[in-house]
Amino acid sequence: MTETLMPGGGVARRPLHFIVMADCSGSMKGEKMQALNYALRSMLPHLVDWERDQLQAQLLIRILAFASVPSWFVPDPAPVAELSARWRNLEYVPMGRTNMGPAFRAVADALSPGQLERRALRPAILLITDGLPTDPPGGFEQGLAALLDCTAGRSALRLAVAIGRDASSEPLDRFRSQDVPVLVADGTDEIADRLVTASIAVSRMSEVGADRTWLAERLIRAGPSLPPDRAASSGPGGAGHLDDTIL
Amino acid sequence: MTATPTAQPAVPPDGPAAWLALTASERGASHVAAKTANQDAIAVERAGPAGLVAAVADGHGHWRHPRSARGSRLAVTVGCLAGRELADKLARELPQGPPGAATTASQIARLVREVAVPDIVRRWRDSVFADVRADPFTGEEQGRRHRGDDPTIAYGSTLLLGVATSNWLILAQIGDGDVVAVRADGSSVLPVPADPQLDGLVTTSLCGPDPGADFRIAVLDTARTPLLAVLLATDGYGNAQVADDWPGTFGKDLRPLVRAHEPGWLAGQLPGWAARCASSDGSADDTTIALLIPPAGLAVGAAAQPGGAGRVPGADLGSAKTTAAVVVRADTVPSAQVPAGQSPIEPVTVRRTVPMIPAEPGSVTAAHQEERGPEAGKPEAGAR
Repeated sequence: MTETLMPGGGVARRPLHFIVMADCSGSMKGEKMQALNYALRSMLPHLVDWERDQLQAQLLIRILAFASVPSWFVPDPAPVAELSARWRNLEYVPMGRTNMGPAFRAVADALSPGQLERRALRPAILLITDGLPTDPPGGFEQGLAALLDCTAGRSALRLAVAIGRDASSEPLDRFRSQDVPVLVADGTDEIADRLVTASIAVSRMSEVGADRTWLAERLIRAGPSLPPDRAASSGPGGAGHLDDTIL
Repeated sequence: MTATPTAQPAVPPDGPAAWLALTASERGASHVAAKTANQDAIAVERAGPAGLVAAVADGHGHWRHPRSARGSRLAVTVGCLAGRELADKLARELPQGPPGAATTASQIARLVREVAVPDIVRRWRDSVFADVRADPFTGEEQGRRHRGDDPTIAYGSTLLLGVATSNWLILAQIGDGDVVAVRADGSSVLPVPADPQLDGLVTTSLCGPDPGADFRIAVLDTARTPLLAVLLATDGYGNAQVADDWPGTFGKDLRPLVRAHEPGWLAGQLPGWAARCASSDGSADDTTIALLIPPAGLAVGAAAQPGGAGRVPGADLGSAKTTAAVVVRADTVPSAQVPAGQSPIEPVTVRRTVPMIPAEPGSVTAAHQEERGPEAGKPEAGAR
């Protein structure tokens, strides 16, 4: 062993930003909200374990609660272990609507140029909702366009979990990454399983050699979910993808 | 290619007035875990009567490119060949010295664009096809290839090429990675223009649809530019750095190291830098670096150490102090990919060329890129 003086300011693992968009509208009152909190709490230990065992990424989580308006529940990127240790429950917004457009804009702002580290791995976004968007005309489309207009939003692994089959809608299909299905939780007891599945998918994507073909297959096998409406693409990998490929 | 072990003296026997190349390559921790090879490659050779050529390449890690380690090896081989030919051509055809330097820089850039780059692309493709003919894809490799993929895609690689002649430093790059030029005062400049196509997620490549157009070129007049050093690095290095403005910090940190230590000490440090970046504390990706030190940089170092070898007390000014294993690793390049009769690349090589004309003090960096203007080619470090 020898002492090394390395110029450059120090090294660290590459950040992997994971943004959870949680539906906290009025319809989430009661059992659904409890189930969602339980599911999020259940997901975190899996991510803690994964972060400890893998070599490439430091996982940083933010949570956006959205209803009529979005509100950052965890505004600053938090290490997953820290978030797990100091978890507090989300609360539904009485009479809150399911306006997704402003929520997409809030995420787009967080991912806009200069907001992420230059060396950050491609991020992941997980949208969890129990209903159709209730945006005013054009609101959903404009918000989604803002998200997809920024490079990080466009390249992000975008996962959607629908609570109830009615929530698995055409708008969610437009949000999700093209080659991954919407995960459907038929009942509140399935929400936790779906989030764990999503978290495994997110974590797996930073491993060597993973790509979206694997991801799509993994998610489809995970349980009740809508099949992708097209074959798995040959595009570059999803969230946290480490291994480069061509344009 | 020849390699000099770390323990061998880095200061050449015929004095410090020559370019020196220190190199290191380390397999990324993620590749170790996945039992995949170091897909980076590096080569340094003499070029022309007074020059040096260094090539660094990063084979793509995605499983669509199962032979990218071979692709990067082929890339540095053809890159060095083209670099040597370019240096020879410059020695024959272009005037030496500052008069008309700006015009000459443009001429060199055009020569690189119109001759060297097409040669690299053509030879790399020819080498790939020859390799496939000699060793057809296995069933497993075929299974990884996408339907309709050109065979070259399996070999996809970047390439960073530096050609140092008596008066010029010529840089050509396709794909990600970093070229950082450090001035004598420790300030850094990124001479190769940024490519907006590189968003940190995907890269341009020798296996791309129009690789010739994706090469970025810069020409620096080293006779007028007192450079301390030039770093060529695969993205495993930059992706490990915490600071977005790491090139600026790199220059500031490197200057006292070069001033205070002999090149042999620096050569011994480079494997540690690469290992640190390639570790699970860094990018976990293959990391390969070439540090080119011009005569002006060596002169600075020599001035600080009249007694020769050894460290100056209190000169530990690098901003990242760590302890890392510095060992010769035979797996930095898979032995199966080393041509017969050629030794595997060692993580550290020290090379020199014949003496060069010393740089003029106080001159200004002039980076030129064809069709972009001089300013486009020299963003300040951290500006991207």
